[in-house]
This record gives sequence, structure tokens and C-alpha cells, in this order.
Amino acid sequence: MTIPAELLSKIDEAITHYPVSKRSASLPLLHLWQEHFGFVSDEAVTWIAQKLELQPINVLELVTFYPMFRRVPAGKTHIRVCRTLSCAMAGSYALRDAIAEAAGIASPPTGHAMNEGEAGDAGHSHGVDKAAHTDVHNAGHGNPVSVSPDGKYSIEFVECLASCGSAPVAMVNDLLKENIALKDAAALLGLTRSDAILPQVKAPHPREKRVVFKNIDREGWQNDIETYLNDGGYSELKKALAMKPDEIVSEVKASGLRGRGGAGFPCGVKWGFIKPGGLKPTYLICNADESEPGTFKDRYIIHQDPHQLLEGMIISCFAVGAKLAYIYIRGEFPEGAQILEKALAEARARNFLGKNILGLGFDCEIYVHRGAGAYICGEETGLIESLEGKRAYPRIKPPYFPAVLGLYQCPTIVNNVETLCDVKHIVKMGGAEYAKIGRPNNTGTRILCVSGDVQKPGYYEVEVGSVTMGELINDICGGLKAGRTLKAVIPGGSSAKVLRAGEKFKVKDMEIALEDIPMDFDTLAACGSMAGSGGVIVMDDSRDMVETLNNINEFYAHESCGQCTPCREGSLWMKKITDRMLDGGGVSRDPAVLKNVADNIAGKTICAFGEACSWPTQSFLAKFGEEFAARAQKPIPPPMPPEYTPDELEKDAPILTYPGKRDNGVMGAASTR
Amino acid sequence: MSAAVSTEIQMLNVQIDGVWMQFPKGTRLIEACSQAQKFIPRYCYHPKLSSPGNCRMCLVELGMPKMTPDRKPVIGADGKPEIAWIPRPQISCAQDVSEGMGVRTNSPMVQECRQGVMEFLLINHPLDCPICDQAGECRLQEFSVEYGNAGSRFLERKVKKPKNIELGPRVTLDAERCVLCSRCIRFMKEVANDDVLGFVDRGSFSTIACHPDRQLDSNYSLNTVDICPVGALTSSDFRFKMRVWFLQETKTIDVNDGLGSNITVGARESTIYRITPRENNDVNGVWLPDSHRLNFKYIQDPKRLKTPMVKGQPVDWRSAVSIAAQILKACPSESVAMIASARMTNEEMFLCARLIDALGIQKQHDILPRTGEPDGILIPADRNPNTSGAKLFALCGSKPGSRLQRLADGVKSGKIKALICFEDATKCGLSEAELAKCAVIAIDLLPNKTTPHADVLLPSSGWVEKRGSLINLNGRLQRLNRAVNPPGEARDDWEILRDLLASLGGGNGLASIEDTFKAMSSEYAEFANLSLSKIGDLGVQLLQPKTEEAAKAVAAAK
Repeated sequence: MTIPAELLSKIDEAITHYPVSKRSASLPLLHLWQEHFGFVSDEAVTWIAQKLELQPINVLELVTFYPMFRRVPAGKTHIRVCRTLSCAMAGSYALRDAIAEAAGIASPPTGHAMNEGEAGDAGHSHGVDKAAHTDVHNAGHGNPVSVSPDGKYSIEFVECLASCGSAPVAMVNDLLKENIALKDAAALLGLTRSDAILPQVKAPHPREKRVVFKNIDREGWQNDIETYLNDGGYSELKKALAMKPDEIVSEVKASGLRGRGGAGFPCGVKWGFIKPGGLKPTYLICNADESEPGTFKDRYIIHQDPHQLLEGMIISCFAVGAKLAYIYIRGEFPEGAQILEKALAEARARNFLGKNILGLGFDCEIYVHRGAGAYICGEETGLIESLEGKRAYPRIKPPYFPAVLGLYQCPTIVNNVETLCDVKHIVKMGGAEYAKIGRPNNTGTRILCVSGDVQKPGYYEVEVGSVTMGELINDICGGLKAGRTLKAVIPGGSSAKVLRAGEKFKVKDMEIALEDIPMDFDTLAACGSMAGSGGVIVMDDSRDMVETLNNINEFYAHESCGQCTPCREGSLWMKKITDRMLDGGGVSRDPAVLKNVADNIAGKTICAFGEACSWPTQSFLAKFGEEFAARAQKPIPPPMPPEYTPDELEKDAPILTYPGKRDNGVMGAASTR
Repeated sequence: MSAAVSTEIQMLNVQIDGVWMQFPKGTRLIEACSQAQKFIPRYCYHPKLSSPGNCRMCLVELGMPKMTPDRKPVIGADGKPEIAWIPRPQISCAQDVSEGMGVRTNSPMVQECRQGVMEFLLINHPLDCPICDQAGECRLQEFSVEYGNAGSRFLERKVKKPKNIELGPRVTLDAERCVLCSRCIRFMKEVANDDVLGFVDRGSFSTIACHPDRQLDSNYSLNTVDICPVGALTSSDFRFKMRVWFLQETKTIDVNDGLGSNITVGARESTIYRITPRENNDVNGVWLPDSHRLNFKYIQDPKRLKTPMVKGQPVDWRSAVSIAAQILKACPSESVAMIASARMTNEEMFLCARLIDALGIQKQHDILPRTGEPDGILIPADRNPNTSGAKLFALCGSKPGSRLQRLADGVKSGKIKALICFEDATKCGLSEAELAKCAVIAIDLLPNKTTPHADVLLPSSGWVEKRGSLINLNGRLQRLNRAVNPPGEARDDWEILRDLLASLGGGNGLASIEDTFKAMSSEYAEFANLSLSKIGDLGVQLLQPKTEEAAKAVAAAK
């Protein structure tokens, strides 16, 4: 095997980004290899293992864990269509089929469509091909890639591309296309320009308070360092480097800033866990693995304002004493990674990074590390494992709290992109001043990402708690689509518990309606859900809740890392039950079993994924029980024959709970997994 | 790790199911519960491996002492600290006990957790217990009975995974039975130093695998079968041979090297089916090399020597022994030599030493040394199980094997006229033709190049067929036990030696192996106050460990 010199030098350069452990370079090397050769061959696995002084199984473990890596060639143009909730609601199943047809790909793997079809369409239909369905159960998690006979095109369904506000979206090689109309499917094949870096100018809504998103869609704004410096950029870094690190930590504590990744943990408290003067180095990691369905905020910061993130990161590094930091960016943001690389080079050239920053005696280096399509990397210990070049298996806590035993078993701080940007503004205005924005214990601004059935989906930065759900949907987002009424809202990313329209919530001795809920951490928690990652998914009365839950279940079944038992087995089980309910095989006890399975996962797993995958099921069943009951009419069948029963037996005596043909399917549909 | 050992071990108060108990600091919670007779079920946890906490079977309710605002424990009415219970269940395998900790091992919440995990583990598990080798010693079966549900609520199709995969020459994988506990992966990485196993695929489809270019071919691969809590990894040798509940298990020790790993021999009706390691943290830990555990087939070899022979003709034992005695008596002591074996038990060696005395043999005896490269894990350079004994009973000089050349030369020159062989003399520098020059009394299990030339051939017993004691290279006295009976008329070696001694004129009144041990302990101070039964299953330290290698082996076992 001859490796081109250019690739080899890129590989050697990538390895230098990981001075502590070469193994960390596994993912970067796999990316470089796939970019060059189109797929990761068996030879690649052996070569990379040898290069990094690993066993080949160490690399094979990664190739089979991270869905972005292919072990077979794809088409010259490879299209990834988003399958997850907001895109599915916007018709991504039909879109995928249309693209496949245009590309001459016969029958892509199928799944449960949830498009709303043409306006006024009679409803949500699905059809299922039994053969495809059967295969599904034997296929691994890997996204089946279908290649056109001429080898020009290939297509795959992928989980959330984090662009839910412009659903449906697809990636054509590395380029992103938003708001794709069905009729444009063919044109997509020749896409040459990405929407992700398309300059657009859009004035913020008057109800917004733009702090972190100040420069997003701003007129005349470029993502280069000159534009940033002309706007006063990096002055907070100078200010911060003149302060003492613990002063910055105190300011962040005073600001009341809560993490914007999903858990809402106070940032200053997290930083306070790092004991100064330790013998081990401290690391900072920016969690840019934005992948909670419904969330699409970090993408825009990275694409349009990367220097804001870098400035926030360097300040944070200084505050916690980290000299080496990584930006863990999800693999589906290839353009974002390039933009960050460019921004880092610009910052290095001006000594905002590197040795003795601005002559103030602080050394700091930041590298970009790309993920490869695994949602679990958003979990901070899973992210750390991934960054160490392993499967992203979250660690047990205790003992592996990142602040004590994080990256390379050293103290590590993992913060979300938005959180790190907020740090810059806290340094600018002072913690106390920042704390005046928003509400007590819910300070600052929040970028709300609205997707689903609203007129104007998109991102809106507001003071935390300053707008209610009703104002967000009806005022800021222009209301629901014509003739529709509100049915449900998922307020904080798809793992947040669903809220039903018409429900009454008890908050501080007051009964409030869904529309009256202020969008802050504490109130949403009091309403039985969470602010989560800020991804608000709105559903109108045209939505079938079993279908919706099935789509969510498919996401979590696909994304479960498989490390611990309840989530590994339970997430797929729940998905199989909702699959069956949709296929007309729902039996009377299904809702009860579903709920019990979810109860057996939540709180019993290594990481919060257990809750993330069970909360949707728990809440959908609690809030929309009648829809589930309606699909669970059949009597409980006798037990299935054991799995080693010959196929012939099943042919002769079909199992009642298993689907035949679904009625009048518009979409060819059987689950991909 | 050689930090000075603190003289005082700190004891911590822990409440387990309402009862306060004390445990030394550093005790793993799951172990503390076991010590308190509250067994916590587990799949992934193994005391000799790291704790990934992935099976979630060991969830318990955990509490920490309730603290006042100034961080002092709140003392309840009973004078004991009050416990603040954590609302979520916690795993007990990955944390040590701490002062004032409370555990509930069988509360409704804990029962519910176990039931849930059991159900999850079984939904995709094949129902092939009737043909599964693990049946009878399977944790899934055991914990199903103890903690699971009788009925199934699973109406879906099970996940299909690879079956009957030869991971290596000795281990077969059924991925559908696997509960993904990762014990095998961790063992290969942490103990066998061969990071050859891993997970491929993701979620419910995750599967144990080797890279196609590599095999699970380590000499420790069968340990993964031992620690596999289910029937996913099975021994290709033992597979489908015998239901485990029919196996009669005998605790004994391995004789393939100087370590004397503790083992269990599984046999049924005088056939040995498998050998598995037995825990002894002063010797082999819980591990055993594959080479050792599979080296028992020769015991059942149909060519085993079954009848005493004189010049190739079968005779009865009495005649055979008396003819041997006559041969020996006829030779002056300087013309008699003995090739003893460091595979003999102490009792046999003791009688050999008496025989050497009785015949007046002067430094014309030695043992056949066996050595190889140490593997850095368990196997030492010395491949004889009782070199320490051979030295103790002076069956060899300070350098075992150093006299063999002289012995061979003596046979060649005709100086040595009678040779007593407990080993194949052709491995000691003699050709078959040269052997014909002297009278040979051979005591052995199987035909070899010496046996055809034996004037008297006495069939003896294999190590699984006899009782006795051995001293490992570390000076530890351990006990062999009989798992099966010797074939035909073959006899215990100590009996053969006793009878030979008696025929030579020394009546000795030894009626049993216990008598022999007693006689030995009265003559050798090292064995004072000991008996075979006092040695126990785990052995006793008899001599000070001498070699660095020995010390290393002990460290590895721990």
C-alpha cells in the first residue's frame, strides 16, 4: 500500500495534535483516509493501527461504532438525508425516495415515514415491505448505504444533522442543503454550493436580545478575524489575561451562568471543581457535538462567528488553568471544522493562541477534533473516551468525574459552545451585570431553536424566561400553519418530555397553560419537562403521536452506544414495539409494556442517555395515552416461535403481531434499523 | 506498589440492610455485601479485572451519612448516623465502602432493577439452554431463577448475531448468547497482555470480535471461557462433550510447571472432561494457561501401561517386585544408579530417598530437569512440579541434571549395571542400544524408548490418579487428589516403592499414603506437625521463597 505523500504529511500533522496519546489520532486518521480513498478498507484499519501502535481491533472497534465511516465505497456523490423528527415531519422520507429515484438508486432501505404530504392530505400513510422489514432486524446499526448502478451516487439516511429549523435538510458530500422541496430533489445531485456558509442577512425579531448571536446573519459580517477585530474582538481576552484566573471563575460564578448543553449545570460551580495547583495538567474541551434532535444553535456560532467561540475558550482555558484544549465538533459539520481550523490559524498568527499569548505569559493551544456521527459523544465522558480514540462509552461516575479523572485521567472541563461564548460576555460586562439578564437562577440569554409546525422556524436568542411558549410560537415564530391548532411541544430537544396543548401546569401555586410557560430552566422543570438544549419542536393537530414517538425511538435505538444493558436492549425494544403498533400489530398490553420498559431504563444506566431515550416514551404515553390505546387493539398473541425456527415455518403460519402490507403506502416504508 | 504497609487498617462503619458492620478501608462495596452474606448478583464485575459498571445487575440502594450544615453527621435516636438515601439506584461494583455508608441490597427498588435488567438481558438471548454448554453453571439461568420473571413480554424478533464463531483455536463464540459484559475483553487486555478482543457494531447489535487478521490464540484464551458468565464463549475442546452437572469435581493441582496452579478436574466415570483453574491468590490467582488445562489426554491414552512385565512378559506384581529386588541385590551399590523424577510427589521422593539409602547409591542418582522460557504471566522457567522436593530429598545435586552425563557415561562404560528409571532414560544422554547393556527397572505410565528395554517394567499412576504432596518453586506445599482411578493393574508409585523397599529387606509398615507422610514428617523437620489433611485445599507455605521468579509469580497471581 502506498500512501500519497500529501496524505501522509496530513496524517503526521494530525498526530501532533495529541501530544499525550497517539491513540487519540484514530478518528482524525480515519477521516483523512476516508476523505482520500472514499472508504475505510480493511487495509486502512491495519495501517492506521500500525501507525498509531495499536492493535487492529482497536481501530476496527471505531470503524464499526461511528456511523460516518464506511467500509465499502460509496458513490462519487454521497448524499446524507436527515431522518430525524423535524426533518421527517417536513417530509424527509419522501425526499430521500425522490433523491434515490433521481439518482437511479432502485430501492433504498425504508422506514416509517412521517411526512405530512401535500397540504390537506388525508393523513399519514405508510407502507411496509415485509422483506425489507425482516432485513432490518438482522442489520447492524450501520446506516445502509445504497449506491447507484453507475457508481455516481449513493444515498443514506442519517440521524439529526442539526439544522432542524430549515428542515428537510441533506448533505451532498460535505455541502449542506436546507429547506429542500421535493421537486428540487434532482437538482440536489449537482449541488455545488453549501447553504451552511451562504451569507444571509436577517434582522433579529424585536423580542430577541442578541448577545451570543449578535453577529449571526449580521449585515456585512464575515467569519474572518479582521471583521471580528474591527468589531472589538479579542479585547475581552486582553482584559481577562490581566485578571487573576480565580477572579474570572468568581465572575462566572456571580453570573449564574448555567450550561447550555442540556443539563443546565451551573458553569462556575463546574469550574470550581478544578483545584488549582494540581500536579496533573488540566484540559478544556468545547462540546460542539450538537446533536440533540431539535437543536441547531452551535452550528451558526461555528459557521458565522468562530472567533467569538475561540475568545471564550481561551479565556476559559486561562480561568481553569488549561494549556491544551480541544473543540470536539460533530462529524456532520465538515465545513464548521474547516472554518474553525482557519480561525485557529488566524488566531495563532496574531498570538491569541500559542506561546506567551499577547506577551502576557499564558500559553494555550486549541485543536479541532472531529467526531463521526455518534450522538453519545455529546455526553461529556463519552466525548472524552471518543477523544482518547476509543468507542464513545460513557464512564461511570463515580469515580470518573471529568473534573477529577477526565481526559487522559486528568482534570477536565467540558463546556458547550454557547456556554463558552457566554464567558466572553461575562468578562465583558462583569458577572453581576450579566446576572441581571434573565431571571434569578435562570440568568443570561438563551438561544431557542424552534422547528416543526410553525410558520417561521429558526433560532431566536431571548433573555431567559422573557418570553412564554405562546409568545414564542405565535408571536416570534409567526404562529402555526394555516388552519392548524397546537397539539404538543417538545421544549428542550427530543429527549425532553413532551407537553400537551390544553394541559394545565402547576407552577408556584399557579395553574398555567402550555402557552403561558416562560421559557426558563426552573419553570420548564416544574412543568415536568426541561429547557434542555433549547430545541423546541412544535407539533400541530395533524401529527400522529405514535408515529412521532416511533421516530424518536428510532433515533435513540440507533444512537444507543450499547455499553450498558437497560439502554442497549430497552431502546431497541421500545422502537420495535412502536414499529409494530404502526404496522397494525399493536396488542392490548403494548402501552403498559412500553411504559414499563421505559421505567426500567430511566435512572438505571451509566449516563443520562437512559433518561433521554425513556422520557419521550414515558411522556407520550402519559399525555397521549388514547392514541396509543387506539393502536393497541389486538389480543395478546401466543409466544413467538424461538428464533431458530426455520423460516419456512413462519411462511406457513405468519405471526399475527407481525406486519403484512401496510395500507396504501405513499412511502416505501420499513425501518432502516 | 511497594509502599510501606500501614500497620493499622482503618475500619469503616457501613450499614447493610439495617445492620451496622465494619469493613477495612478499601473494601469494594459489592465484596462487603458478600462478606455480610448479602450476595449481589453481577455479570461484568470480576474481582481481578477493572470495573466498567456496564451490566447494571449489581444496582443497590445507597445512602450517605446525613450531614448538618457544618458537615457533621446527624446522629439518630439509636446513636448511629442517619442515612440520606440517594433516590436513584447505584452500582455496587465500582466503589469502595465509606464511613457511614448505607446499603439496601434487597429493597423493592433493587428487586425491580434486577428484574428489569434480567428481562433486558433475556429478550434477545436465544432459548437454547438445552444444548448450551454453560447450562448448569450459567449466571443467566441462576439469576433468572433468583431475580427474574417467569414469563416473557417480548413479542418482537430477536436480534440476529454470529454464531459458532471460532475466535481462536480453542475458543468458540456464540454472539447471541453474549451479554456484552466485556470480561473477556478486559481479561485479554489487562491480564493476558494481548489486546485482541473488542466490540464491533453498536447498540443492541454490539458483538464481541477479533480483528480478522488476529485470533484469540493466547495461551490464556480459555480463561475467557471461565470468566464468561454465560454460554457465549465456550471451550472448543469441551464443547458438547458433557453436561456440567454430571462432572465430579476434584480439587487438585497442576503439574505442568513449578508453580503448581490450583485446579479443579471435572471427570465422569473415570474419564476426565475438563480442567479449570481454582482460586488461590498465593499461587495462580484464578487463571490457568491453556497448555496446562488441555494436557490431560495422555492419561486416557489406550497405550497406558497396565500390567507389570518382566522382560516383556506380563507377570503378577509380587513376582515383578521381587525380581526387581533380586536384580538390585545382585549388584554392588556402586554399580546401581537411579534417574528419579521431579514430577514425583514428596511421598514418592521420600521413599526414593530411602531406596537410595537402602541400596547405598552414592551420587549416582539425579532427576531430569525440564525448562522453558517463562511467559511473564504464570508459567515459570521450571517445568517440573516438584524440583523443590527433589532438592529437599536430595534426589539431585544443587544443580538438577548435572549428574546425568556421568550416569550415562557409567552405563556406556559398563560401570553401572542396574538402572532404576522414573523417566525416559533416552532423554538423559543414553541411546537405546546403550540401555541394553545394563539391567533396567522402569516405573512409568506410558511406553517410551526406555520401556522396551526394561528388565522389569512397573506400571504406575498419573498425577490425576494419585494422592500426595508437592512443593512448588515458591516453597508452597500443596496437595494432589485423586480424580480418577489408574487403569488396569497400574499402581500408585508410593506403593510400588514401598513394596520394592520391603522386598529389599526393609519392612516399613507403611499401609497408607498418610502413613508415608507421617514417616516423612518424622524424618524431615520441614514437614513437622503437618499431615495431608492439614495441607488443605490451598496448601501451606513450607519453605521460604528463594527465587526472584517465584516472587514475581506470586505477585502476578495476586
